[in-house]
Amino acid sequence: MKFNKKLPTVFLDTDSEYESIDSKVNIILSPSLYWVKKISLPVKYVRDVQKLLPSIFEDILPDGNYNYYAYKVDDEFMVFAYNDKFILDTLSKKGISLSNISNIYFAQSEITDIETALKINEKQSVYIKDGVLILVPCCWIEEKGKLDVSDIKHSKHKITLHQFGHIVETKSLYKIGAILTVMIFLLSSEYFITLYKTDKILSAKDEIYQNYKLKSTTFQNKALLKKYKNIHSMQTKIRKYISYILKIKLQKDERISFISLKNKKMLISFTGVSKTRENVIKKILTSKGVSFKSKSTKDSMRIEASL
Amino acid sequence: MNRINPLYIGVTLIVLISFISYKLNVVTDEYNEAKIEYKKTLALANELKSLENVYGDKKRIKKSLEKILNHSSLRGSEINKDFTKSTLKIDSKSINIKALNFLMGKLLNGTYQIRSMKIKKLSDLRVSLELEIKW
Repeated sequence: MKFNKKLPTVFLDTDSEYESIDSKVNIILSPSLYWVKKISLPVKYVRDVQKLLPSIFEDILPDGNYNYYAYKVDDEFMVFAYNDKFILDTLSKKGISLSNISNIYFAQSEITDIETALKINEKQSVYIKDGVLILVPCCWIEEKGKLDVSDIKHSKHKITLHQFGHIVETKSLYKIGAILTVMIFLLSSEYFITLYKTDKILSAKDEIYQNYKLKSTTFQNKALLKKYKNIHSMQTKIRKYISYILKIKLQKDERISFISLKNKKMLISFTGVSKTRENVIKKILTSKGVSFKSKSTKDSMRIEASL
Repeated sequence: MNRINPLYIGVTLIVLISFISYKLNVVTDEYNEAKIEYKKTLALANELKSLENVYGDKKRIKKSLEKILNHSSLRGSEINKDFTKSTLKIDSKSINIKALNFLMGKLLNGTYQIRSMKIKKLSDLRVSLELEIKW
């Protein structure tokens, strides 16, 4: 079971000294660590004021990166500007680790009920003038004690310091983060889409095996295809060679007396062919790309073509 | 006030992007390979099926050969036909040239697997024939 434990509060000021802090604390920022204005604006809501804050402070702030805060008091607005880096440096100088800080508040929002000036260190005091908590040198005003923040009841107006705001603007950080996140989203989407597409194409490949009734392995199918291709090539050649032979215009006494086909060899015997005609027939077959051997006897010629 | 260094978040996001990019490359390669394999398998299947339909459909081949041999043009010819499980042997001691032209025209224009053939001229109008067709 977790109990809400009240944490000690530290009033952070540039000129105060602190004992080492090694437990969680709340921080109240001294007016020396922020700029404050109490203003009346013709707007109703704090969110409308927030857009105007940089221009409200632009004339008074030194160079640097600032963050802003605002809240409403009756019909007026309390507006704040603060330099994260300056506050962080002060915390660091005072030996207060960020990991030990629970919440950070403005003194303006936390110290609202003091009637006289109160000392915050040996040189300075705070007091409220026209609703604004201001910091004054000790000798300017008569103090009636030291500021005690131990029993203070905190308001809801707390701020979060941006540790890296001085390096990269918060907006830029968000932009870079958003771009990287969008990239991750796009790449992840692409990854899952590609996985899905791969799965689908693999299923489609399996379907080919079923639809075409293929053998179970590519090796078997390739071997079968090779067998059919060889048959097809052989049969095409047989028909081509027969067509070449039959297209030869024979002379009056010339005849084809024998055609045989066996073991990839085609034998054709011509009868009644003269030497000259033999050469003509051979020339025709050579021009058709038929590889053959020929044997001539008295008036016949035997052609042996390899398929 | 424990805030995470945005640099760590940035580095984490970049590492994540690199990791996803690497995984994406791997699956893209796998996808491209699968696509190539699919195309190859489809081409092989188409080619194999068309050749199988031509040379491997035993029933069709046998039926069409029977139809040719029973044709009226060959009725008068003395043709011995011997159908085995996977071959047809045709043999004729003397067949007229008209019947030979019809038979060879059908066989050569069809997609039959002619294994062996012997045609010998006997006279101007007659030849002897031996033929073996496989399926």
